[in-house]
Amino acid sequence: MPEAFLHTLFWSGLTIGFYWLSKQVYRRWPRWWLMPLAVTPLLLLLVVVSLHESYRDYIGGTHWLVLLLGPATVAFAIPIYEQRALIRRYWPILLAGMLAGSLVSILSSWALASLVGLDGVIRLSLLPRSISTPFAMEVSSEIGGIPDLTAVFVVVTGIAGAVMGDLILARFRIASALARGSLFGLGAHGAGTARAHQIGATEGAVAGLVMVLVGLLNVLMAPLVALLR
Amino acid sequence: MFGKKEFAMSVHHRSARFLHHHPVAQVLTVFSFWLIGEALVRVLGNPLPGGIVGLGLLLVLLAMRRISTLSMRRGAGWFLSDMLLFFVPAVLAVLDHPELFGLTGLKILFVILASTALVMLATAFTVDRCWKYLGDRKEREHA
Repeated sequence: MPEAFLHTLFWSGLTIGFYWLSKQVYRRWPRWWLMPLAVTPLLLLLVVVSLHESYRDYIGGTHWLVLLLGPATVAFAIPIYEQRALIRRYWPILLAGMLAGSLVSILSSWALASLVGLDGVIRLSLLPRSISTPFAMEVSSEIGGIPDLTAVFVVVTGIAGAVMGDLILARFRIASALARGSLFGLGAHGAGTARAHQIGATEGAVAGLVMVLVGLLNVLMAPLVALLR
Repeated sequence: MFGKKEFAMSVHHRSARFLHHHPVAQVLTVFSFWLIGEALVRVLGNPLPGGIVGLGLLLVLLAMRRISTLSMRRGAGWFLSDMLLFFVPAVLAVLDHPELFGLTGLKILFVILASTALVMLATAFTVDRCWKYLGDRKEREHA
């Protein structure tokens, strides 16, 4: 009993500590490759591997943190409600963008994965990777993927998307703040939303709203996607 | 003397005022909405996850003005701004998938990069096209 407690204390403390540390570092040097999204898991991997521990040992001590994704989902109600003026005004445009983005995301992931010879659970786990983690893990288990693997792909998408969004904005003419925000919210969930807030207040608000709504849309659509299997 | 109704009102006001000033109580309120959502899912056998049910419930109460965003904004903000902490442990699942560090990993990276670019372009162009279309129509209506 005390051993299990110490185990939880050690791994949870380490996780929270590294997270806090990487947030401080990023605040000081805001480079894309110093994003806490990238640095925190890398630091943890280093420790787990060098102590010759396994994922099972690690997750045994930190699983309670993952459970908090449930209440985090509830918390999304606040930004939805606070952006209700935006929804009322632009809902047809936002809905069109979300449907187009989700469709392209799911179909292109499936097609590209098949093209390079990925199949099975890996291909399924790739499908929901462009939505926010709590929704993505939910969809993943619904359609027969591995939620933890999807979390890995969500992280890679977030890092890549925040960088790629800038490249796309520089190369293509995108006229409306609505489109610029949607691009980040749909393509790169939380990391994209953080980037959109740096570009402009409207872009940030749109990105945050679209990220939540598209997550909900995907959870509701998941039974349909499961048919693809 | 308070009537029954006035008493209920004052309890409501006092609890609302308490919530506005205590972030920890706000966190617990968000948490309890999740528990209610989970309980409903268990009892009713709903196919939706408990978090989503809790979200819907909270949204309905907000829309009916039974609850104010003030009594939850800071608590919700804590869950949302530190969400990374809650899924970082799941990311270490890569340890169980050594194949990700080889050719399979490169293939996956290619799929993610290409697909993300396509998603971003498709979304931005769709939204821009609709925005211009609706904008033009509005201008014509005004003319």
